[in-house]
Amino acid sequence: MMCKRIIERLLSIILILVMCMVLPVSHVQAAPPSYQYSYWGDTVAAPAAYMATRIIDGVMMGAGALQEPADIHVTDDQEIYILDSGNQRVIITNHRFELIRIIDGFVNEGRMDSFNNPQGIFVTADKQLYIADTGNQRIVHLASDGTLLNIVRSPESEMLLSTFVFQPARIVVDRAGRMYVMTLGVFDGFMEFNVDGTFTTFIGANRVYVDPIEYLWKLLSTREQRSRMVQFTPTEFTNLDIDAEGFIYATNGDQWGDNVKKLNAQGTDILRRNGYFSPGGDIRYAYIDGPPRLIDIDVADSEIYSVLDAKKGRIFTYNGDGYLLYVFGGIGNRIGEFHTPVAIERLGDHFLVLDKGYGEITLFEATEYGRVINEAVRSYYQGDEERASRLFEQAVNMNANLEYAYDGIGKSLLRQGEYQEAAEYFKRSMDRKNYSKAYQLYRKETLREVFPTIMTGGVILLAVFIAVRRVLKSRGRKRVVTFE
Amino acid sequence: MSKELFRFPLYLTVHPYKAFWELKYDRNQRASLWTAIVILALLSLTSILQSQYSGFLVNFNKPEELNSFMEIVYVVVPVLFFSIANWSLTTLMDGEGKFVEIFISTCFALLPLILINLPWIWLSNYLTFEETAFYYFSNSVAALWTLYLLFVGNMTVHQFTPSKTVLTLLLTVVAMGFMAFLCLLFFSLVQQIAGFVITIYRELTLRG
Repeated sequence: MMCKRIIERLLSIILILVMCMVLPVSHVQAAPPSYQYSYWGDTVAAPAAYMATRIIDGVMMGAGALQEPADIHVTDDQEIYILDSGNQRVIITNHRFELIRIIDGFVNEGRMDSFNNPQGIFVTADKQLYIADTGNQRIVHLASDGTLLNIVRSPESEMLLSTFVFQPARIVVDRAGRMYVMTLGVFDGFMEFNVDGTFTTFIGANRVYVDPIEYLWKLLSTREQRSRMVQFTPTEFTNLDIDAEGFIYATNGDQWGDNVKKLNAQGTDILRRNGYFSPGGDIRYAYIDGPPRLIDIDVADSEIYSVLDAKKGRIFTYNGDGYLLYVFGGIGNRIGEFHTPVAIERLGDHFLVLDKGYGEITLFEATEYGRVINEAVRSYYQGDEERASRLFEQAVNMNANLEYAYDGIGKSLLRQGEYQEAAEYFKRSMDRKNYSKAYQLYRKETLREVFPTIMTGGVILLAVFIAVRRVLKSRGRKRVVTFE
Repeated sequence: MSKELFRFPLYLTVHPYKAFWELKYDRNQRASLWTAIVILALLSLTSILQSQYSGFLVNFNKPEELNSFMEIVYVVVPVLFFSIANWSLTTLMDGEGKFVEIFISTCFALLPLILINLPWIWLSNYLTFEETAFYYFSNSVAALWTLYLLFVGNMTVHQFTPSKTVLTLLLTVVAMGFMAFLCLLFFSLVQQIAGFVITIYRELTLRG
């Protein structure tokens, strides 16, 4: 009786102590700086991978205020090309945002010519400029010194309707000089142009999505009614980028399906979607907000790519297998948040985000965590699994929620022959396929060790069993004999 | 007697025609009912163990959301639904079975699900991806076997012809759907009424 009371009192004291320890902490805890999606689709806390360090506007660059800039491009040697659409010019700066040059026109057939609301810019390795001069319905191709090389105007082809208006909005150019142009109001994919500017074909059209209810209405209505209804059309792309190998990465504005694509030369989608969720921004969102709307994509080395969600102003970065690496950005008034982000671009491992509304560029620099992940993914891509494993371990120490990192460690362990540990790590990253691979090897190994013992034991047992039975039988027979 | 208690359900799984006949006409109903309840409890236990301890490759449950109570509900409620729906139909269709008999035969028919799935919980921990086919195959076998026992049990209990049994079983599924719909409707209405009353109460207390 006494004992019980003491225990009860002790328990209550412990409980109060625990509450004292736990409660204040949970109150103080601030919102986590960033988030990740777990295998189960839950939003889990993650440290920030990128931090906004600077905001740069036109005045700081020494070019005057930007007006509705639309696109940005960074060359391999880190020169920044900003397409200042409202002022019809291109601003060129070095990586410290110090002005190098401004291009606000070019000499065309002896006369000065200028842009009209250009929307897209691309710069090749030898610094030739391609500008999608949307308002003038043409693509302007300039040499690195700003002299005109070529103008691509509305193409004539039997693939195009007579009412077709050529409004190029975004452009990329591959190593061979072929142009891939995203054109407003075109549903057949990207327009591909030859080196000399002749239109060849469309590639990579989006699939048509048919709303079942609308389809039912269409079936029920007469031909006249049907002709007045909206046609089912595939959606337009919203942006594109090209990687070093010539694959086109594209985003579209669909509210459903896979909104990120990697197109090969034939226009087939070859993006790997082996992550926990297929790449395309947030998977959890409020009903009133609706799904994310991706408007820009940027491909870095090692198949790392980032997409920009215009609705929430967030940048999502994925690796080549389609695992979400990190998220940053947002809509708001503080540094690191945007009003109307329109374009993202990598400057080395930094990020530039162009804000059309404010006319500013936000520079994001990787934190320790971001650097470790970038390096880990790179090492893994280059085949240096041991280094990748070390880096992934560092990343896990900073963010235990990064399930993808466990996968990286597991793969390295698998290669080293530590099958049991590898299986354990794959289990943690919910990678069933690799778990199975590791487990199979582990099972084989264990069985090989244990098999001789089991067999010897079995044989001995069998021998003993037979011997005992024989002895019993002979005794029984004797007994039977005596009974008879 | 006690040995017989274990042996009979096992006998039933392989000799359903004879055993269900015995179950209906020869055996002590009270004892059978208890056995049926034990089988149902064991199946619930199997279902809980399955979602907790199945191997990683075949277990797609989120461990944090595992609720043993709900697992029991998922086993018991369908069985009750089936029995009630079947009873309501067969009383109209000249079936000879009483409700208790239907319930007992249904529970006995579930035995293969325990016999096959329970060992697989342990075995599934030692599988690789390619071998999970065996796991799924066994699960299907268990399900088909149970379906067969259900068919024979129902036929024997009601003294139906095979074709009529198939028809009643199909109609039973439809009736179960109706029942589920009615239950949903009922609960949602009750919820609405409760919400309404609570709102009025709140309004009154806040005004007062």
